[in-house]
Amino acid sequence: MRSKISTVLGLLAFVAALGGCAEVQRAAEDAARQSGNERLAGVIRGTGTLVAGLLPIGYEEESSIGQAIALQVVARYGGVVEDPALTRYVNLVGRAVANTCDRPDIPYRFAILNHESINAFAAPAGYIFVTRGLLKQVRNEAELAAVLGHEIAHVTEKHILQVIQRSKQIAGVTEAGLAYANQNPAAFKNLIDGAVKKLLDEGLDQSKEIEADQLGDVFAARVGYDPLAYVTLLTRLRDLKGDDRAFFKTHPNFSSRIEAVRKTIQTEGLKTNGVLLADRFAKWSKRI
Amino acid sequence: MKRRRTWWALQGLIVGAALVCVTAAFAETVYVQARTAQLRSGKTSLDPVVANLRYGDQLEVVKKEGNWLQVKTEGGAQGWIYTGKTSKTKPGGGDSGLAQLGRSMRGSEASAVTASAGARGLDKVSEGYANRAGISPKDRDTVDRMTAYQIPDQEVEEFLKEGGLGEYAK
Repeated sequence: MRSKISTVLGLLAFVAALGGCAEVQRAAEDAARQSGNERLAGVIRGTGTLVAGLLPIGYEEESSIGQAIALQVVARYGGVVEDPALTRYVNLVGRAVANTCDRPDIPYRFAILNHESINAFAAPAGYIFVTRGLLKQVRNEAELAAVLGHEIAHVTEKHILQVIQRSKQIAGVTEAGLAYANQNPAAFKNLIDGAVKKLLDEGLDQSKEIEADQLGDVFAARVGYDPLAYVTLLTRLRDLKGDDRAFFKTHPNFSSRIEAVRKTIQTEGLKTNGVLLADRFAKWSKRI
Repeated sequence: MKRRRTWWALQGLIVGAALVCVTAAFAETVYVQARTAQLRSGKTSLDPVVANLRYGDQLEVVKKEGNWLQVKTEGGAQGWIYTGKTSKTKPGGGDSGLAQLGRSMRGSEASAVTASAGARGLDKVSEGYANRAGISPKDRDTVDRMTAYQIPDQEVEEFLKEGGLGEYAK
């Protein structure tokens, strides 16, 4: 009799977990506990956790991951530029682009890393960084908008989250994210450290970088910036650094990026009569 | 006489049906694809705002002119919206349906973090990470301030206007 009840409750919990009905699952768990079968209650709870762990990462978990990665970016790059007015300007350009991106309903924040290298990074949940070195290469607001658009696209497409999801699966982590982080902080740290290594040292897959270039330029063009500005910036960087992958190890070479962006401008029919806003940018450039 | 009347009735029916079909074929649905969007009484950014729209709102297109769409909201309000703030596909939102499903099953663990998400600063999980990873108080403070950093939508709108961006394009 007891085994029959167990089977029914177990099946109910599994179906509820698959169907996403947390209430039914919890009711089955309570029923098992009341019938004195603590072990079955545990199994029912585990079923839900197992299924939840295989599902995409939700925003609360993304936010924790984003903060943890942002901490490492700030630590590794020697902190941020403490200039509130300049930071506000970069945030305004970023928000202008993010407001009509493909994921406008989450907060985006932008900071300038106090580092002379030429780079920019995006952590999940909208934590975006651009180095002082890269800002020094920018000549107008449209170029800055495209750089920030590229990073926004990494967030909208959840590129880093995909890396974490894959690591979780490889590590056989089937528990849900936040429960996992609270119960096993050492393993959570490993996941974050792995993602940081990928982001800062190894670089994302080249196809993801190209996708971010293309989508980022679409986002910038959507708000009215000239999409050709990004081609100009990438060409300037290629002239400066060449196509040496050793230098720009975290991104594909400039020639293939320029070609991909040009193709997007054409295939997406992006209007190339947008604004550059060189004068507005020039007011800030001396502070960089 | 009777046959003629039937004939006219039939003709009317065919024309009516054709009109319905044509209207249906042209009735296009778009969605608000922006954090904030305004429905205006005319097709310039200087025209008064008729209604404030929300991300994901469904709109029926009445006609297109330049960079503007004349639309009807589900509530029946009619006005103009800048094309760049709309999308032909329904936005997925911050979380996909599957992600929401996962979160609903995670139960109380998730809600504890949700409660602190609106507050300033790092959440419990990332604070724990900072301790384990030996992140300095200065760097924690940087991400803390970054998390709390906000610019009101109105100021972003002013910035767009000043630069002739979005619907303020000159």
